[in-house]
Amino acid sequence: MTGISALGIDVGSATVKVVGVDDAGALCWDALEPAQARAEVQIARMVEDARRACDTLGGGKVALIATGCGRGLVHQAVREVTEITCHARGVFREVGHGGTLVDVGGQDSKVIAIDPGGAVTDFAMNDKCAAGTGRFLENAARHLGVPLESLGRVALEAREEVRISSTCTVFAESEIVSLLAHGVAVEPIVRGIHRALILRLVAMIRSVGLVAPLMLSGGVVCNPAISDLLAAETGQKVVLPRHPQLMGAYGAALIALEAR
Amino acid sequence: MGALPAIAPRAEVIRHHRQQGGQVAAVLPVYAPRALLRAYGFLPVEVWGPPGVRTSDGASHLQPYVCSIVRNALSFLLSGGLDSTDLILVPHACDSLQGLGSILLDFVKPRQPVVPLYFPRSDGAGAQGFLAEELRRLATRMGEITSRAPAADEILQYVVDEETGDRLLLELHEARRQLPLTNADFYRLIRSREYLPREAFETAARQALTMRQPDAAPARTLLLSGVVPEPTSLMAALDERQVQIVADDTLCGRRRVCPPGRSSDPFERLSQSWLGGPPDSTRGSSLAARSNYLVSRVKASGARGVVFHMVKFCEPELFYLPSLRKALQREGVPSVVLEVDLNDALSQQVLTRLDALLEMIP
Amino acid sequence: MNPAAGLAYACNARVLGPAALRAARLYAERQARGGAGRSPHLAPPLRIAPRCKEMVARHWLEGRHAQGVRKVAWVTSGAPVEFLTALGFYLLYPENHAAICGTARVAVDLATAAEEAGYSRDLCSYVRTDLGSLFSGRTPVGRLPRPDLLLACTNICQTVLFWYRVLAEHFGVPLVIVDTPFVYGEEAPPHALQYVGTQIDEAVAVAEKVAGRALSAQSFERVATRSRRATELWLEILQRNRHMPAPISAFDQFVLMAPIVELRGQAATVDLYAAMLREVDERIRRGMASVREEKYRVLWDNLPIWYRLRAVAELLAERRIAVVASTYTNAWGELAPYLDPARPRESMIRAYTYPILNRGTGHKLHIMQGMIDDYHLDGVILHSDRSCKPYSLGQMDQRERLSGSLKRPALLLEADHNDMRCYADEQAATRLAAFAEMLEAQR
Repeated sequence: MTGISALGIDVGSATVKVVGVDDAGALCWDALEPAQARAEVQIARMVEDARRACDTLGGGKVALIATGCGRGLVHQAVREVTEITCHARGVFREVGHGGTLVDVGGQDSKVIAIDPGGAVTDFAMNDKCAAGTGRFLENAARHLGVPLESLGRVALEAREEVRISSTCTVFAESEIVSLLAHGVAVEPIVRGIHRALILRLVAMIRSVGLVAPLMLSGGVVCNPAISDLLAAETGQKVVLPRHPQLMGAYGAALIALEAR
Repeated sequence: MGALPAIAPRAEVIRHHRQQGGQVAAVLPVYAPRALLRAYGFLPVEVWGPPGVRTSDGASHLQPYVCSIVRNALSFLLSGGLDSTDLILVPHACDSLQGLGSILLDFVKPRQPVVPLYFPRSDGAGAQGFLAEELRRLATRMGEITSRAPAADEILQYVVDEETGDRLLLELHEARRQLPLTNADFYRLIRSREYLPREAFETAARQALTMRQPDAAPARTLLLSGVVPEPTSLMAALDERQVQIVADDTLCGRRRVCPPGRSSDPFERLSQSWLGGPPDSTRGSSLAARSNYLVSRVKASGARGVVFHMVKFCEPELFYLPSLRKALQREGVPSVVLEVDLNDALSQQVLTRLDALLEMIP
Repeated sequence: MNPAAGLAYACNARVLGPAALRAARLYAERQARGGAGRSPHLAPPLRIAPRCKEMVARHWLEGRHAQGVRKVAWVTSGAPVEFLTALGFYLLYPENHAAICGTARVAVDLATAAEEAGYSRDLCSYVRTDLGSLFSGRTPVGRLPRPDLLLACTNICQTVLFWYRVLAEHFGVPLVIVDTPFVYGEEAPPHALQYVGTQIDEAVAVAEKVAGRALSAQSFERVATRSRRATELWLEILQRNRHMPAPISAFDQFVLMAPIVELRGQAATVDLYAAMLREVDERIRRGMASVREEKYRVLWDNLPIWYRLRAVAELLAERRIAVVASTYTNAWGELAPYLDPARPRESMIRAYTYPILNRGTGHKLHIMQGMIDDYHLDGVILHSDRSCKPYSLGQMDQRERLSGSLKRPALLLEADHNDMRCYADEQAATRLAAFAEMLEAQR
């Protein structure tokens, strides 16, 4: 087992991820936890765990780079780099080519244009409203009484689909309540909610300009309906990296490795 | 970094002017007829916001989809912020300012006289004469308010004097790279033109220009385009990152530094000057003119990237954005769009976008 | 002119198309007579409605084949167009096109294309609809002819100025701007009117160059006469609603106003509105009301909510509320007195400087107060249209004075004229219901 040569931490709104890479930049260690209220305490513990892993794996004291919305809290990091650059770096290394990366997180989503050399050329972020993020699905799931883990499967298995016209999460909730009151079944609504999310992502993708291939990252990508519906809506094959949730931390670790 | 020449704060300048028996004119965006106001004894004090005002006062007159420049101006007035002024000039620079001017005149009716000033949007033959006449009527109105009657050549002298002030302001902008001033200090200096009497501004400007060095700019440089460089903590954030704004394209800044006029009639001269200014969204310049201008500014200044600093709901600026970004893309210049409200503190989202842009600059 | 295009135009726009549209109208009329689409609370549309629809459809049909055959001008809704009509231009109103898209509920789909191109959602929804149609090539009217000339008049807003700059860049054709200084006070000062006059002269010169001919004073007068006559007839139709109960509703007017906006100088428009006036008078004689049990009469301020016309009309009619007047439809009638066909240039200067949107917020309040008296109104609905700042700013103060000193309930309804995403059905219904309760509490 190779030693950890660099570390990256991605402090997101929903989860905190730490990744260790070896000398060759391969992902060799990772940790993922739901974000806790006392973020600094959690960060300190996770960084400590990562350092212990470095010692165990014979890596010694390695540099740590922080990314994610909570990156400012990681005083153990030598540097902060935005999630834009980190996600692009991580995905580019993992899939081996450029294209258009769509990252769908718990509270934000972004589209990043990556050129054939791996550089970021443009990006769009949605971090002001819940539409187009995991939160949108979470809220809907709650109203529909569907467990979050089953949401994607229900969407894929639905034989019908109902159009959700609201883009605002709050309005969409009203719409869902109204539809249920009118006797519309849960499954078509679930599919419709997914469609609304996808359309929001597609709008962001088009504003940056779609350059194939389309790549996905972020926790919400674990939902199987997202990549399916996105592929159908764009007519593009969707490439998923092996560790969709770790791409930000991975990219941070790679940057730390380069800076050595 | 060098030390900024001393600049008296706004409140002090206003107080001093009033103590001397002078009157104060509050001037809303964009084009401020400083020379005319001075000729009638007014100290022109521009009102761009200001930021950080309690907007609940303005909220009973203006809907939430009005930009924070206009909403804040109204709130500021209603909460007493303009109590030390004797005139409120509301130029017509956009639909929101149109609404503000009209609401002030017809409904709010503040103690001070409210005077609108229409800016022509056509590029045809009649525009210059119209604007000159608008300015003449403004002068007449000020004569009524102040009972002063300066002669035409007196007014002309004020116009010529303000041209000198503008020339120095332009020099500051063009010498930016050579001035070892932080972003915060540079903007404090150029924005002092918004309230300092011309003479005081010229002193500060000349002092700053003596600080010129061969090239004091860091590696990472930006062009800032938008309405106002607020919140000021943005400047501090850029200074922290050792990034310098080497070219300004804000409405309160370089965008409205106009060349001198030519006529010996003060009103024609001022009209010529304004209509000859850089391509501007609030004047409805063509897309091509704006794009060409922006690209040439980037090239001339050596800026590595462009920040579009949009005040939310600002229609004139938002309309030009797509074509400006495309023009920059064609030149391989990265850009980012920041959307702000004057009352919001610098947000994580804004900083992330800014940092992402900086990370794109090799 | 391309002979093939000319032939296609003659066949499609002048023969086959109109025949098909006529057949459609006859069918619609028959359906209407048979009681199709009847509502329990609302009177059926005017019998002449299918004919109005046919006229508008013919206009857009002609547009599909006009390119290369007629000179085409894209113009703003408040632009002085009489000289363009006299020069033989086919006139296209992007705002009307956008409204058609809004009514057909395809506006959001089109706007998305503009938003993806970088146009902010905070920009006017008409613009986003129009640019989206342009960028995507999609339109419910089939095909839009490219303009040979663009004419933008700022008397409705500054937004059109930027919009038409974008169009000028896209099409690479001459853009004429008629910039009408905003009238803050009682009157436009002489230098403002002179400035407008100079620009109209320049506009005529450019239009003549593009048309390849000189403007004939005779044609101009003829068009101006028709324009005036149509405008007078339209005003009369609107003013018939002073009758209690009102024979038609503002919602009917929103649909029937298309010709007065986009076909103003045509003889057929005069005939249409003359016939419409006769039918309105017939309704009055028969005591036919737009809302079957009209009890409350209200004013609608600002643009309509195009994608919810029927829904809002029904909601109000259920509570016996008739929207009998609107400042919006009134805008195309109130300037009739300014139009003097014998002095077309002077008329145009005034008629295009004084539309309600080019005048102060106090003036609009005054107009609304006048309409409350003239039309015996019980309340006002102020559509706070986030896409239309010139119309919406001032509404809060207007509302306060209407409900305060005039003691007329005045509802501020937040929505957007074309963007469905800015309208929440439940929340809007609640507000309208609360407004109804306020009216009911009054008497």
